[in-house]
Amino acid sequence: MTSPLPNPTVFDDIFARLTPDSIFTDARATGDGIAVAVIDSGVERAVLEEKFRTAGTPIQHIEGAIFRPTGPPLPYTGHQSSPHGTTVADIVLTMAPRVKLYSADVFGPTGSCEVETVIAALHHAIDVWNVKVINLSLGVPEHKLQQVPRRQQLQRAIEEAYFRDVLVFAAAHNEHPLTRSYPAAFAPPLISVDKGLFDDPLHFAYKLTEQVEFQAHSRGYFGPFAREPATSWATPHLAGIAARILSLKPDLKPFEIKTILYWLFRSGNARV
Amino acid sequence: MTDTVLIVDDEESVRRTFQEWLTSAMPEAQVFAVADSESALKVANEHAVDLAVLDWNLGSGSDGLRLLEDLVEFRPDVVAILVTGFAHQATPLDALRMGVRDYIDKNQDLNRDTFVAAVRRQLDRIHPAKQQRELNRRLAAFREAVEKVLPIVQTSAAFNDPVPLPAAVKSLLRFVIRGTRAADGALIVRHTAADGTQSTTAYGSDGLVLPAPLVAFGNSLAASVISFQEPVALNDFDPKALGPMQLLPFEANRSCILAAPLRVASDTVVVVELFDKASPGFTDDDKRLIASAAEVGTDLLRQAVAERQTHQLLFDAVDAALHATAHLTDMPSASDTAPPPSVMARLKEGLAADSNATAPPDTTLRLVEAVRALAVRHGPSAVEHCVKVVNDLRKLLDEMTGTA
Repeated sequence: MTSPLPNPTVFDDIFARLTPDSIFTDARATGDGIAVAVIDSGVERAVLEEKFRTAGTPIQHIEGAIFRPTGPPLPYTGHQSSPHGTTVADIVLTMAPRVKLYSADVFGPTGSCEVETVIAALHHAIDVWNVKVINLSLGVPEHKLQQVPRRQQLQRAIEEAYFRDVLVFAAAHNEHPLTRSYPAAFAPPLISVDKGLFDDPLHFAYKLTEQVEFQAHSRGYFGPFAREPATSWATPHLAGIAARILSLKPDLKPFEIKTILYWLFRSGNARV
Repeated sequence: MTDTVLIVDDEESVRRTFQEWLTSAMPEAQVFAVADSESALKVANEHAVDLAVLDWNLGSGSDGLRLLEDLVEFRPDVVAILVTGFAHQATPLDALRMGVRDYIDKNQDLNRDTFVAAVRRQLDRIHPAKQQRELNRRLAAFREAVEKVLPIVQTSAAFNDPVPLPAAVKSLLRFVIRGTRAADGALIVRHTAADGTQSTTAYGSDGLVLPAPLVAFGNSLAASVISFQEPVALNDFDPKALGPMQLLPFEANRSCILAAPLRVASDTVVVVELFDKASPGFTDDDKRLIASAAEVGTDLLRQAVAERQTHQLLFDAVDAALHATAHLTDMPSASDTAPPPSVMARLKEGLAADSNATAPPDTTLRLVEAVRALAVRHGPSAVEHCVKVVNDLRKLLDEMTGTA
């Protein structure tokens, strides 16, 4: 969407060179060397490893942990607490098959996603796994953050990720008219993602709304509701795209990635 | 825990001296002093004697050892100190077998200190066993009280159940099935108990419990829906794309599924599932409808599930208490006497506090107590007859009033 000027500037040059093709056709843009944490409901490791091995794109061994509101994390057994996390991980791996994926299972037996558990997982992903990308498709409903200290704790954890050069991608809430979903509502220090439908899963859009900046492809590939458009599936698409970009230059900072995504949208949108 | 000591000596001066020594040294103890066997047995009949201080020679042909044999009949755990001027002539083995734990020789070193020390030594020895007996006695009393009250509480709970869970499930499913024009539906309740035990129960559209799911909850469709935190439809039903998920029997072979999570309580989640809407399947309008119904249904189910769980919690606690006290051997036999008035008053208060109760608390308790007494006195068949009579009465009234 660059507007031709009589005398092109360096930005025209940048936009002309920085296109989706220039990134995604690079054979090195596979996510290799990038660690990604999927903070969700666990991942059924053997199923995904078998799926990608059969498809001829073997993935790295998935590691992880199971988190609780208090106490140290429990060992990852290679299983999911619900299929949601496996679908999310599958999308990340489909987009960037060579990432090192960590599964942070924060989904309790009652199906609740407690704030303290998410915060514990965020810290662990940053401090122990040293990930570069965190995918948060499970939102924390607003009612669980009524207490200001809790909300501040979550905000601080997200900010800490930002200042440690870790990218956090968070799903916006789907269609609920009243409820805002956190941490996606903490948009500035992270990248919030809404759902959209694109012909190519590598396509995405910058579409600034009240709290959400990006839209990504919202259909998954594997799992019970994968074909149902959802922000849960849009988020790992953009996280996977970021991992591919990062595999070309791993030291990019969150604001650089956000800018590059925006520029890619600008230049790519002219083609779409 | 008061100690009870019985002194038996036919010499009044000795008797009085012993009593004074003990009451001054152990003011918290209950001390009885009598002259003969007959008076001793009378005291033992009225008081739980822990320790008997018996004179070897009680006069009139009676002796302390023989009296001890009779005292044991009243109080099997009683121990004794034998006071004699002929300690060397005593028969230690027989005496020991009967409960004599010490001898005091009248002719050697008998003074206030040695006497009190001997009594105190024996009381200290029997204290642990006495405490255990007391605990058993109290537990037995507790158990008896619980056994009397439990059936009343259980029956009262049935009267108080504001919306029985199956009825709530049936109402909710009927509403959403009609609203969405689905062909069928089910409701899955996932509960995590305080000890971490998890249970899953599925209900059909008729409100009845479906066979227990054999699929691990983490691999179920319901778990996936809970992760979504909002209604979700499965119209493109491709079993190959289900991934690491297994369908429950009632979910298999469906053309489409619409499901919504309901957060009923912090330890209970519920998933409503609707099946087989005619092509093109479930729409966004259906999602909105089930989302609205879920909010209403959450309140309905919250009440039904929470009430049920509260009752269950109480029953579980009572069962645990009964189980824990089942080994007691000195349990008083159950009787058909009514529970204590304080317990009945508490129950009445509980019943009155429930605005959804279907009968006045007095009436409820009277009926329940009457049935309990009937069961105690005449057995289960009498209760069955009672149920039949009540049902016949209901039919008769229905016919008279034209009630369907």
